[in-house]
Amino acid sequence: MRLFSKLKFRTKLNLGISAILISMAVLLLPLVSNMTAKILLEESRKRGSALVESLSARAVDPLLARDFLRLKNMVVEQVAVGDVLYAFVQDNHGFVLAHTFEGGFPVDLMRANEVPDFASVHIQLLADGPTRIYDFASAVTVGDERLGTVRLGLSKTRINASVNRQITIMAGLFAGALMLATIMGSLFASRVAARLGLLREHAEAMLMGNLDTQSGPADGSHCWEMRNCDLSSCPAFGERRRRCWYIAGTMCPDCKDEKGLTASRESCHLCKVYQQAAGDELQDLAETFDVMALSLKTHIDELRGADRNLREQQRLMRTILDVTPDRVSLVDTRLRYQGANRTFAESVGLKLHQIVGKTDFDIFDEQTAEARHMAAREILQSGERLDTQMVVEEAGERWFHVVCIPVHDEDGRITGLLRTDRDITDIKGYEKQLIQAQKMESLGLMAGGVAHEINTPLGIILGYAQLLQEDVAPGSQIHQDLGVIEKQAKVCKKIVADLLGFSRQTHSSKREMCFNNSVMEAVTLVRHTFELDHVDIIAQLDDRFPIIYGDPEKLKQVWINLLTNSRDAMPGGGVIVIRTRLDTPRGIVSLWVADCGEGIGEDVIKKIFDPFYSTKPVGRGTGLGLSVSFGIIEDHDGDIHAQSPVPEAFVFPYPEGRQHGPGTLFEVNLPLDHGEDEPARAERRDADHAGQDI
Amino acid sequence: MMTRAAKCLATLFLAAVMLMLPGCGDSEPALEVDLTRRERLVAPERQKTITYAYLPQYSRTVSFQRHRALLEYLRVTTGLPLHQVFPDTFDEHIKMVQRGEIDISFSNPFVYIQLAELGSTAFAKIVEPTGTPDFSGQIICRSDNPTIRTIEDCRGKRLIAVDPGSAGGFLFPLGLFYDHGIRLDDFAEVEFAQGKQEKVVLAVLAGAYDIGTIRKGTLDVVAGIIDLSDIRVLAETRNYPGWVYSARQGFDPADVGVIAEAMFSLDQANPEHSGILGAAGMSGIIPAHDADYDPIRELAVKVGIR
Repeated sequence: MRLFSKLKFRTKLNLGISAILISMAVLLLPLVSNMTAKILLEESRKRGSALVESLSARAVDPLLARDFLRLKNMVVEQVAVGDVLYAFVQDNHGFVLAHTFEGGFPVDLMRANEVPDFASVHIQLLADGPTRIYDFASAVTVGDERLGTVRLGLSKTRINASVNRQITIMAGLFAGALMLATIMGSLFASRVAARLGLLREHAEAMLMGNLDTQSGPADGSHCWEMRNCDLSSCPAFGERRRRCWYIAGTMCPDCKDEKGLTASRESCHLCKVYQQAAGDELQDLAETFDVMALSLKTHIDELRGADRNLREQQRLMRTILDVTPDRVSLVDTRLRYQGANRTFAESVGLKLHQIVGKTDFDIFDEQTAEARHMAAREILQSGERLDTQMVVEEAGERWFHVVCIPVHDEDGRITGLLRTDRDITDIKGYEKQLIQAQKMESLGLMAGGVAHEINTPLGIILGYAQLLQEDVAPGSQIHQDLGVIEKQAKVCKKIVADLLGFSRQTHSSKREMCFNNSVMEAVTLVRHTFELDHVDIIAQLDDRFPIIYGDPEKLKQVWINLLTNSRDAMPGGGVIVIRTRLDTPRGIVSLWVADCGEGIGEDVIKKIFDPFYSTKPVGRGTGLGLSVSFGIIEDHDGDIHAQSPVPEAFVFPYPEGRQHGPGTLFEVNLPLDHGEDEPARAERRDADHAGQDI
Repeated sequence: MMTRAAKCLATLFLAAVMLMLPGCGDSEPALEVDLTRRERLVAPERQKTITYAYLPQYSRTVSFQRHRALLEYLRVTTGLPLHQVFPDTFDEHIKMVQRGEIDISFSNPFVYIQLAELGSTAFAKIVEPTGTPDFSGQIICRSDNPTIRTIEDCRGKRLIAVDPGSAGGFLFPLGLFYDHGIRLDDFAEVEFAQGKQEKVVLAVLAGAYDIGTIRKGTLDVVAGIIDLSDIRVLAETRNYPGWVYSARQGFDPADVGVIAEAMFSLDQANPEHSGILGAAGMSGIIPAHDADYDPIRELAVKVGIR
């Protein structure tokens, strides 16, 4: 049976047909041959009886007339018939009047078959060696008078030959039928196998992902073609891959409004479209296969669309999570990590996929893990969110804003915790700077107030000292002392002026001014002095001569401060580059002052704009120069900052053959445009100062 | 491992084959003969017999059946070896008489007058079943023939008669036609049935001929063959002397006397004789003389045959 199951369909079909035909032949041939033999024998006996009776009837007249010629002709006529071996006529005494034998009469025949007077025919089987002969005897009578006997011999051997011929013909017919059936079966099986093979190929193609196969016949008419339908809103309109009975919701008036495809299809059996277009079971299967493939393709396309959408959303969510600088993580109720973002993974030094399933104790040191674990436990128990700030020693002291929120499911139960650690170290720094700025502002206000109050007495002291110098003889001790008083009073006045400038309580007179002229005035003022210290100034000014709105004197003070700072940074001399550039698109004009001095340390550069901060020896600087400059630039809505060393992009022209440091670069940006209220605000501020002066 | 169904099928198949096998044999008993053992047959010599012939107005079989019992009676009664012979036609009958091949001739009166001219002598005549020694002829046509109502309507029609030598079947009706002024030439066609009365009836019935002439009593003979209502008897002739037994010239008169005596002894009242007479279509046999047949001779002259 396993061997049979492995055979091909065509072979099975041919074997089945052959088995049926051979069985039929084996069963029927003996039966039919037996029946045929019996029928033929019976027919032969009947025919022989009929022949001999006919001969008997016709023999009456020639017997009465003793017409031997007619008798001879009659018997000879009988032998002319195929299987009649002999015929002869006897008179009522048994004498043979006419016979068909040549070369004498076989005497054994005379008494071989006797027929009674009143019997019509008597049949006797004779055996002449292997030859079998049916001998028919019929009495020739008229009324009750017997005139003689007619005998006739039929060859049973020939009858048997006829039977055998019949059997041979039947066997031949069976063989022919077997051959024909085998050929027809092969053709049929080939057709069926080809169609099944096509289905298999399409199934394999489906397995490989190709769902655009067409198993059913592509040709043939469709309902909308047969009916010349123009109902384009019908789902079957224009459909070529599916028959209309596979489509739900067709709008044909002949379609019954049945619910369900099975019920509607049963109603289709009476439809002419179905009757014309429907095929056999294999076509039905192929068309169902196509419908299944089409449906599957639709579902897969939908799934792929959903999957793509899901992936897009995942990617978007992952991007949001990964781009955010916050450390985001999700743990379940067992405090095992279910997910985290890239920032978190990087902070703990793991890959994203390595985090899933781990606990705090697997990721953090024991102390940190214990703290996080306890905090999480508390949230799980309380159900309240944690919102706190904490400092972590992580490449220095870093501050984090920690938010830990319990995640609830649809039933309100806590399924996990979402924790966000936001790095607020910079904010903390800004906060510190703000406090510092507030302190400096308070200090400035106090210093300004003090300077303002001191300025008048200093003026009086200076005035009286100068007046007294006029009253005493020059060169006298008193005159010299008065000169010291005057000098120190001027120093104090300078300090007071700086303090006032720092606290922006000095008078500001802004106007349209040429930026380059302001710079060149400053450079001209200091160039000679600087050259004495072996410091060269290279001015690279924008030749478009930008015009700004500002206080030329104060800005000149800023440039001089910056140049002086640069010179002080190069005690052995060097080069100072002062460069201006108009940036029209940004609406600013920039100035850079760079030196090739020893530079400023990273810690120092943060404090250089603080008042009274100076790295110079005592007596060389007040620590107010840069802070005053900062105040002036800020008063002009600009900004100033420094960086050290000088970036390479600045392309500093270092002097050849001389030693130089990393240098420092100051950059000042001033807006070209100014607000409409700027003069008013300046005037108001001036008025305030005037009031204070008053 | 065969399943139960497969075993059942195999058993049925074998049983069917076993049942069929006996039919393949040839067990019919046969009688052994040797067809090669042959001899030349010689016909036994026949003894001298007195030939008796019935004018062939009917087929040989009918003739044989009619006279078989009478001949057997005569053979037994007279002890003479009487043997019936069967001439094919009236002419052959006459010629056989003339050649001496027929000793005792049973013929119609018209043939008799011809035999008498050859030397035959009448010695007996039969009594018709009607009870008289005379008989007549009939003119017949189909019952559904509307064109023939009288003898005169026969003019121009197609005629079939028994034989030119037939008395009742031709001569008597011809005399009747002559009496009505109709000659043979007046018929569209005249055909003869070679002496067979039945053929005339059947030819008219088939429509091959419009009218036919037969001996009276023929319709009774064919009553079992055809529906008599399909045949209409148009006319019937007068009675003429009936059938006659005659002995050829030169036949032993003593034998004639013995035979005649035996014939005259037949008695209708005797059941045995009645059967013999009935089979022969007669009710008795009485003595006859040549002069009894002069009316026939007159009729023959009238119609121009003699």
